[in-house]
Amino acid sequence: MTPPHFAFSATFILALTGLVFHRTHLLSALLCLEGMMLSLFVALSLWALQLDITSFLASPLLLLAFSACEASTGLALLAATARTHGSDRLQSLNLLQC
Amino acid sequence: MNPYVLATLLFSLGLGTTLTFASSHWLLAWMGLEINTLAIIPLMAQHNHPRAIEATTKYFLTQATAAAMLLFASLTNAWLTGQWDIQLMSHPLPTTLASLALALKIGLAPLHTWLPEVLQGLDLPTGLILSTWQKLAPLTLLLQLQPMNSSLLIILGLTSTLIGGWGGLNQTQLRKILAYSSTAHLGWMVLVLQFAPSLTFLTLIIYLTMTFSTFLTFNLNNSTTINTLATSWAKAPVISSLAPLMLLSLGGLPPLTGFMPKWLILQELTKQDLAPAATLAALSALLSLYFYLRLSYAMALTMSPNNLTGTLPWRLLPSQHSLPLAISMTASLSLLPLTPALTALFTL
Repeated sequence: MTPPHFAFSATFILALTGLVFHRTHLLSALLCLEGMMLSLFVALSLWALQLDITSFLASPLLLLAFSACEASTGLALLAATARTHGSDRLQSLNLLQC
Repeated sequence: MNPYVLATLLFSLGLGTTLTFASSHWLLAWMGLEINTLAIIPLMAQHNHPRAIEATTKYFLTQATAAAMLLFASLTNAWLTGQWDIQLMSHPLPTTLASLALALKIGLAPLHTWLPEVLQGLDLPTGLILSTWQKLAPLTLLLQLQPMNSSLLIILGLTSTLIGGWGGLNQTQLRKILAYSSTAHLGWMVLVLQFAPSLTFLTLIIYLTMTFSTFLTFNLNNSTTINTLATSWAKAPVISSLAPLMLLSLGGLPPLTGFMPKWLILQELTKQDLAPAATLAALSALLSLYFYLRLSYAMALTMSPNNLTGTLPWRLLPSQHSLPLAISMTASLSLLPLTPALTALFTL
């Protein structure tokens, strides 16, 4: 496993762990999601540099566009949650339990 | 909702799934899945009710995680093998990771815990889109993966059928029951994926038809709990006489259509020397049959204690078009004799 491969894999797994084990605030989950997307962006950019094919250099931008849309959707949902539930604390998201 | 906005969102849903269907590159498939997620979020949150917003937030988090994991799996595959083609993914680690990510996307056990709560917070038409259309794109990708470790899909399938059956036993909310039923049916689909993908496709189409008619029946009766279902027989008595048969078709009883996929899957598993797995799957179908039977019992086989017959609703002209319901109900009740034709039609 080459060092760049290890670097972005470790970043992704750390951010995924942070997303999976978030306990208090919804915002920390969204931040970890952004961290995951950032590590994937770096991985795609390094991939294009690895192969020295310039046409692959557009793919990190495509990923960035979709990840920006996703991040803004997450923030809109955070604002909506703060409106309906009062805060972004995860303990207050308990209306739908069995 | 504003009709232009609704049209844009529904067309985006169609675009996302079509993009994933047509792609052979992992990045394009991921983009199609992301478009699907982004397009359904406003549909889910349109009512601005606290339960709807909570369901939307939970759905967004799980789907975004699954999509990111899928892209990580394909990037790992690219760094390890040097190519991005979906059907040529051969290294075991990215294949396993991609299968788990797609399992989280569609709600297979043990990654199913988001589905009952999310479906509970939605209204019935949006829940219908979530249960039917949103399963198509990830299942397409699952069909194209070739897992090295053949026991992963079998374990996912058996766990899903068991948990789908057990989890639905304690529910009175219809949407949660339908969520567990969705998990169980997806378990059956995934069980036979690596042996006969055309059976997965056939099960998917029949599951879509049955779920479509179930959701439309509940929407017509405007019922979301067993209690409201029990008192809804007077609104449309013809529906109340056909709906128990449709629920038993979901449970997989012959001579209804729902028996067809289970029969063919059990036959295929026995041919592949997996008789214990087939036995376990058949026994777990009994668990889900119990709660379908409970629903049909409450709906049509007993009259629940009500105040007076004067509280029965007026039978006015129906305000919603029932032609789709009529077609899908007919299909979900009477297609078993056409098994050879359907097997020949839905071959991959």
